[in-house]
Amino acid sequence: MIPKSLAVAAILAGSTLSAQSQTIPASVDQPVTISYYNYNLASAGNGADATRRMIADFEAAYPNIKVEAVGANSFDLTSRVQADVAARRTPDVVQMVFSDLAYGVDNLGIVALEDIVPAQELAAHFDGMSPKGLQLGVLNGKTYGLAYTFSTPVLFYNADLFRAAGLDPDQPPQTWAEVKTAAMAIQENTEAAGIAAGIFGPSAGDWLFQGVLRSNDGHVLSEDRKALTFAEPAAVEAVAMLKALADSGAYTNLDMTAAMEGMAAGSIGMYLQTSALQGFLVKGAEGNFELRATTMPRFGDKPQRPNNSGSALVIMSKDPLKQRAAWELMKFMTSKEAYTVITSEIGYLPLRTDIVDDPQYLGEWVARHPLVQPNLAQLEMLEPWVAFPGPNYRQISKIMMEGAEMAVFGGMDPARAMQAAQDTAQTMMPN
Amino acid sequence: MTSIPLDVPRVSPVIRRRRTGWIISPWLYLLPTLATLLLWVYWPLLEALRLSFFQWNMVPDAPKTFVGLDNYLSIFALPKFWQAIRNTGIYIAGLLPLAVAIPLAIAIYTHDLPPRARNIYRAVIFVPMIIAPVVAAAVWRWLLDPGHGLVNEAVTLSGFKPVQFLQNPDYAIWTIIVLTGWKLIGFSTLIFSAANANINPSLIEAARMDGASRWEIIRDIRLPMLRTTILFLVLMTVLLGAQWSFAYIHVLTGGGPLGSTTNIFYLLWDFGFSTLSVGWSSAAAIILFLGFGVMAFVLFRLMDRYSFYDN
Amino acid sequence: MTTDAFAFPAVARMPRRPAAILRINSVACHTVMVLLSLFCLFPVYWMIVTSLRPANQIFDTTLWPTSVSLGNYVHAMQAIPIGGMLANTFIVAALVTVAQLFTGLLAAYAFARWRFRGDRLVYTLVALTWLVPFQVVMIPNYLLVAHLGILDSISALIVPHLAAALGVLMLAQAMRSFPAEVIEAARMDGAGNWRILWEVIVPSLRGSIASLAILIFISTWNEYFWPLLLSRSPENSVIQIGIQMFMSAEGNAWGPLMAAATLASLPILAIYVLLQRQVVQSFMKSGIR
Repeated sequence: MIPKSLAVAAILAGSTLSAQSQTIPASVDQPVTISYYNYNLASAGNGADATRRMIADFEAAYPNIKVEAVGANSFDLTSRVQADVAARRTPDVVQMVFSDLAYGVDNLGIVALEDIVPAQELAAHFDGMSPKGLQLGVLNGKTYGLAYTFSTPVLFYNADLFRAAGLDPDQPPQTWAEVKTAAMAIQENTEAAGIAAGIFGPSAGDWLFQGVLRSNDGHVLSEDRKALTFAEPAAVEAVAMLKALADSGAYTNLDMTAAMEGMAAGSIGMYLQTSALQGFLVKGAEGNFELRATTMPRFGDKPQRPNNSGSALVIMSKDPLKQRAAWELMKFMTSKEAYTVITSEIGYLPLRTDIVDDPQYLGEWVARHPLVQPNLAQLEMLEPWVAFPGPNYRQISKIMMEGAEMAVFGGMDPARAMQAAQDTAQTMMPN
Repeated sequence: MTSIPLDVPRVSPVIRRRRTGWIISPWLYLLPTLATLLLWVYWPLLEALRLSFFQWNMVPDAPKTFVGLDNYLSIFALPKFWQAIRNTGIYIAGLLPLAVAIPLAIAIYTHDLPPRARNIYRAVIFVPMIIAPVVAAAVWRWLLDPGHGLVNEAVTLSGFKPVQFLQNPDYAIWTIIVLTGWKLIGFSTLIFSAANANINPSLIEAARMDGASRWEIIRDIRLPMLRTTILFLVLMTVLLGAQWSFAYIHVLTGGGPLGSTTNIFYLLWDFGFSTLSVGWSSAAAIILFLGFGVMAFVLFRLMDRYSFYDN
Repeated sequence: MTTDAFAFPAVARMPRRPAAILRINSVACHTVMVLLSLFCLFPVYWMIVTSLRPANQIFDTTLWPTSVSLGNYVHAMQAIPIGGMLANTFIVAALVTVAQLFTGLLAAYAFARWRFRGDRLVYTLVALTWLVPFQVVMIPNYLLVAHLGILDSISALIVPHLAAALGVLMLAQAMRSFPAEVIEAARMDGAGNWRILWEVIVPSLRGSIASLAILIFISTWNEYFWPLLLSRSPENSVIQIGIQMFMSAEGNAWGPLMAAATLASLPILAIYVLLQRQVVQSFMKSGIR
């Protein structure tokens, strides 16, 4: 059940903007074509097949709506959207990565759902969705996106390597200190590397790094979104922890592909990364070793505070008829059936937690796939991915990550490295 | 075709070409090229020059904020900027032997081989060029993997520890240079082969009949006549070396580890072209164009002075 | 041709090298060439071998697949419309090659044949565009293409590439070494500029034209960023986009990826084999008889 506060807010928003929310027609009564920019379609595989099927099912259910699906890689998707907005060919529905959501809202014209959809319809659709999950797409009090394909960071581990190193695979490490012990044990007693993580690297962005910092009660951005705070003691402490792990020799700076393939091949003991990789790792592990997963490590007794990776569906159309068609597509893609497909076939989290135990939807699948449990458990602890403000947000993020990398792998003192990065990046913040 | 005896006295080409004022013919022949280049290259560059002084999100009716030189200053102030410049120098120095010296040797050596051996060698050297750069990068990454790559398996078999070709900041840049060179050898060999074939064989024949040894023929005839092509390829390596390695850097190291493989082009791409800020991206474009443009101007002048035409 | 070639004063009188050293040199050279060949070939060999491995042995390190299987090729052809993509790529690459050769020859002729006011400046302007990487002009080109209304068609892949600096530079260089007397003779025979270009000069530049054709074809075939920006559906894309579809942030599908990459390399190999004979053909076959 959605919390009363959200329901109330939605109703209030609906009533004050009643004029606007009545502008989209109640249904699609003429033929219309909408464009749907999606990154699962850009890779050949399960994701593309499942997405194509869902689109076909949608078109069958809504004969008046034709969906022009455009596949674009997740790294290029926002640039494509920007180029098309500049060319006056604004897309209608976009699978937008969370890191670019704020930019899209402030610049590219993403439409708030409360502005176009009648409040009751919105509330009915939100019924059954995880409150934390819904919050991920909320900015400035309005819902701009619905979490579509998203996941949490999970610690995968190789049970066979654990046994070979004298560790108990049923008691996986839960804190960073335990992780370090385990990693060193694996490093010393087996040929495998101790641990790899998807924290650093150009394609990693800063999503996992933010989760690690926050788990130590550090922050990257101040509450008023004016000052960068990743050089403050709590954050520096987290970076220092990673540095110590790297210095011990158990954590090497493997790039994302090397780490992923190494884990799948059984040459790495533990791997902290998005649970979306599960399918790939499972395929590699089949017949080779026993793959297990647990929640993201904590700092001592402080609870872990993961943030999500992935994307949300957003609407960008300006034409009322297209907005209705886009909203219908969004509803279809965030329905119980859709999330069942997304979780079981593509490998992401379901935004609708009520289908997890429902035998008609995910119930049986979850029982047969215990690997997804840590991911589901962390769904209730999710915090939104913090996007830096202003037009230079990507550059700020890169500077922060470069500073952290220098500290962890480059031998620089963490406090100095983070401070230098923060000083440079602060000049790029909007003033 | 009229036949010309070989001993016609050489006439200076400069005098022969017409020196009238404004003639229309050359411009007509230049028109398609100029039109294309002006429309698709120079106009965007001019736009980039204009936009580099603004901050804008490309949305048609959104405001453009004037920021003066801020975009340029931000790029120059990037922590990795000078490291990128240094690395660019290393890339160029490392690529020159691979992109010029070795292909030159191969082209000359294979030219005198019997046709079958020559064609086989040349085809083999050329093979790296037929593979898509991204695929080549992916295959190399796998071959060089410290855990299960073939190269490291060979290394460990010989008793050494696995080498972190792409993860060690000291080795990574050399690995990328070798991989970029791997592809370029075929490209340059092709160009040298064509230039070599353009050398008048009667010159070679005459020298051979005079008793000159193979090495002397190479030193005194081929190399001087290939001078233009050599300079051309040196120029290409200096100006485009940073761009050629882009695919490998992008797929294999992302500029890392710790910025050791970032060159100026990658840096400008990472902070400029690949971001959503039109201002940064335009400033990056102008920096790249002006920087290499000035270098090109100087080098072209040099090349013109030392060029040798067979006329 | 010049007669200076016949003056070889000191060179001719130097003694020949002893035969033994020549033989060792030859063995050493061959060894180096063989090693170089292995270096060049091995990754390609690996790509082909991996494409022939069955799915569960894809990470094997044996030098030859323990069991040859075409499963990856089948999978690749089912997952993406390879035939259509290869056809699209071929059309685009062929048209761009022809266009750049044509515009390049015309422009090079202008520089080589005439000295005219502003020729240095124009030459420099043309040459400088070579420095401009595509990423720099990509977005403005995209907007222009959208404006022209050709966004959803193959023309968008061709039109920006109708002319390029490399061709002009290479051909201008080749033309400059063309003997002036022949041109004079043809002019005195009454041939106009157009005929001189196509009937006198071009036939003798076969080597340069062929090598340029190979290079343009390959660079267009392997082009990635521009087609990526333009691609809206797999059926209308080029093969590079197709290959990339097997690489994703959630893992590469190695087997089909290698299979698709191998298929994508075959046409280029064919073009090379066809044209390379032209490249090494001797200069004296035409021009002066």
